[in-house]
Amino acid sequence: TMPAYLNHQQKVLWRYKRDLFRDQYRFFACLLRAHFDEKRYGESNQAVDAGEEEFWDRQHPQPYIFPDSTGSTSYERYDCYKVPEWALDLLPPSEKAMYPDYFKVIQQIQEESPVDGPWTEALSPAHKKGTCLLYGGIM
Amino acid sequence: MHNTIFFSSMLSTLFIIILPAMKSMLNKTPPTPNKMKQAVQLAFMISLIPLLLFINNGMEATLTNFSLLSINNFNIKLSFMLDSYSLMFMPIALFVTWSILEFSLWYMALDPHITRFFKYLLTFLLAMLTLVTANSLFQFFIGWEGVGIMSFLLIGWWFSRADANSSALQAIIYNRIGDIGLILMISWSAMNLSTWQINDLFSLDTSHMIPSIGLILAATGKSAQFGLHPWLPAAMEGPTPVSALLHSSTMVVAGIFLLIRLHPTLEKHQLLLTMCLCLGAITTVFTAICALTQNDIKKIIAFSTSSQLGLMMVTIGLNQPQLAFFHISTHAFFKAMLFLCSGSIIHSLANEQDIRMMGGVKNYLPITSSCLTIGSLALMGTPFLSGFYSKDTIIETMNNSHLNAWALSMTILATMLTAAYSLRMVFYVQMNSPRHKALSPINENSKTLINPITRLALGSLVAGLLIMTATLPSKTLLMTMPTMMKLLALIITILGIIITMDTMNWTTTLPMKTPNFNFYLSNQLLFFNIFHRSLPMKALKFSQSMATMTNDLLWSEKAGPKGMTMMQLPMTNLASSQKSLMKNYLTTFIITTLLTMILLT
Repeated sequence: TMPAYLNHQQKVLWRYKRDLFRDQYRFFACLLRAHFDEKRYGESNQAVDAGEEEFWDRQHPQPYIFPDSTGSTSYERYDCYKVPEWALDLLPPSEKAMYPDYFKVIQQIQEESPVDGPWTEALSPAHKKGTCLLYGGIM
Repeated sequence: MHNTIFFSSMLSTLFIIILPAMKSMLNKTPPTPNKMKQAVQLAFMISLIPLLLFINNGMEATLTNFSLLSINNFNIKLSFMLDSYSLMFMPIALFVTWSILEFSLWYMALDPHITRFFKYLLTFLLAMLTLVTANSLFQFFIGWEGVGIMSFLLIGWWFSRADANSSALQAIIYNRIGDIGLILMISWSAMNLSTWQINDLFSLDTSHMIPSIGLILAATGKSAQFGLHPWLPAAMEGPTPVSALLHSSTMVVAGIFLLIRLHPTLEKHQLLLTMCLCLGAITTVFTAICALTQNDIKKIIAFSTSSQLGLMMVTIGLNQPQLAFFHISTHAFFKAMLFLCSGSIIHSLANEQDIRMMGGVKNYLPITSSCLTIGSLALMGTPFLSGFYSKDTIIETMNNSHLNAWALSMTILATMLTAAYSLRMVFYVQMNSPRHKALSPINENSKTLINPITRLALGSLVAGLLIMTATLPSKTLLMTMPTMMKLLALIITILGIIITMDTMNWTTTLPMKTPNFNFYLSNQLLFFNIFHRSLPMKALKFSQSMATMTNDLLWSEKAGPKGMTMMQLPMTNLASSQKSLMKNYLTTFIITTLLTMILLT
């Protein structure tokens, strides 16, 4: 991911950066690892939440997102490139097993709705009120 | 004779635009996008005729065609008011739309539904022209809603995106809240004044505050004033031509245009004028501060538009509708051009909109970056560009009026911030080295890209001067003022530029310890360096570059191959004007000979 062309200053700094900033990066990476070990963020769900909260406080106000990535300007612009929902049925069982809660809710919805599609806009009981299907119905 | 030309050209302008948009409704194949662009170009040329008639002998007119509905003494008529505002705005709107349609031929070239896109833009243009020429409030409301609907369809052009759909809904809902005010005004005037004709409204008693409050609410909604402003930055989800046409030059000024049109009803209430002033002041400063921190190039320009709309509202609050209209006209040119330049950059960098990943654009998109700079300078109010005539006059008028000091200071602060964010945008995008990936050769070789941008650049250079010299002011001008008041806008802008450059330099360079004054005294204050070294060196280098350039240009090019081409080509073009249309030539020959023979006998 090099830029279009490098001028002389960039060529000089490139070599400098390769040596200098890698050290700095490793330094901060080690600091962050020590911080995580101390607060024990990886150990339980509450700790993960606490870690998320700290990230939320410290995050960048406008992080750079690539144009085609989620949440950026060029994402999902054309309908023809979106994968439809029935493609999820084609996943092999080993991959479906990686998301058990999500597929359980999907199966419940399919059992409770009529065969030829829903007739009204009312949600089936499998949709718990206030839950978001995105996280498998947990949140 | 003037009447006939005036009215027929005005109506044919509207008719030319209706035709392509309606062809698909008549189940015929719609015209190609190029034809639609040519239709708007033709409409622009024709709409210049009434404008020239107006400039020449001050001809304004009201054209009432037929009654749509008449109940007792309440008539709804289809009528067009062709006063200075609509006569001036129509050619400008058509010129800007022509340029944007031509740009869309390049920008949306790979879109499969480009014909539908052009049809939507033409329908929008039609609704806007209806709004501008409306004499009846009913007709005005039709245009108002029309531009709202087309805005919805165009912002949600890429409807697969969730964000685009929510932004389109946002635009509709915020505009709807403003529409409450407009409907209030319309129903109040239907009940109390039993007329919807605007020229009748001025002669009747409108000393109630209710309709004027409704008007201000309508303008707040449509023109994105503070409180109902979030839809304008969100509307950047639409393609760049949409942002250039709707959300910078034409649709968002509809609210301000309403206030300008119905100004006589508004100027009776000093309280409401002061409310406009304060609302405009807070809008302009708030959105200018927001623009300073944005990283998306389109959002910077969107907030800049919102800031200028606040400035227009401030002018309305100063009881100067003509000046607000002047600012609308000049603003259309350079803001549309800024959007088109940003569209050119975005498309060339493969949809990259973040200025943190742009840079060095001036090296490979020279025309675009020059026009971006010209547009930014016009926006900042550089003397004698188009923005100067309107913006500087507004600030001078503010300085010399008896008004709310807070509003004045906020507007001056916003002027400084305008310079700051424009400079920031120009520096991040154009200067330094590129921060984006190496892409396929970035070029601006397409005529449909360059012609609109240069045309709008020409407009933003001369439009201010032309409009100022062609229109008579309706209120007495300020002839004298203290020097400081006159120069304040310029000083503030320069101060903004200096502070921005300083701040940007502090982030990237370490401060050097500059020597103290005694050190310089020992060097005779650099007299030797400047007058013996640097000035002569500059002069010599300049003369060398001039000499080599002139040498190249003249002797190597013009005296040789290019000069020969310049001489031969016109002769060849002239001599080959035959197009071998034998039948047409014979027909005209026979007809004219027969006519001459008949007339002679």
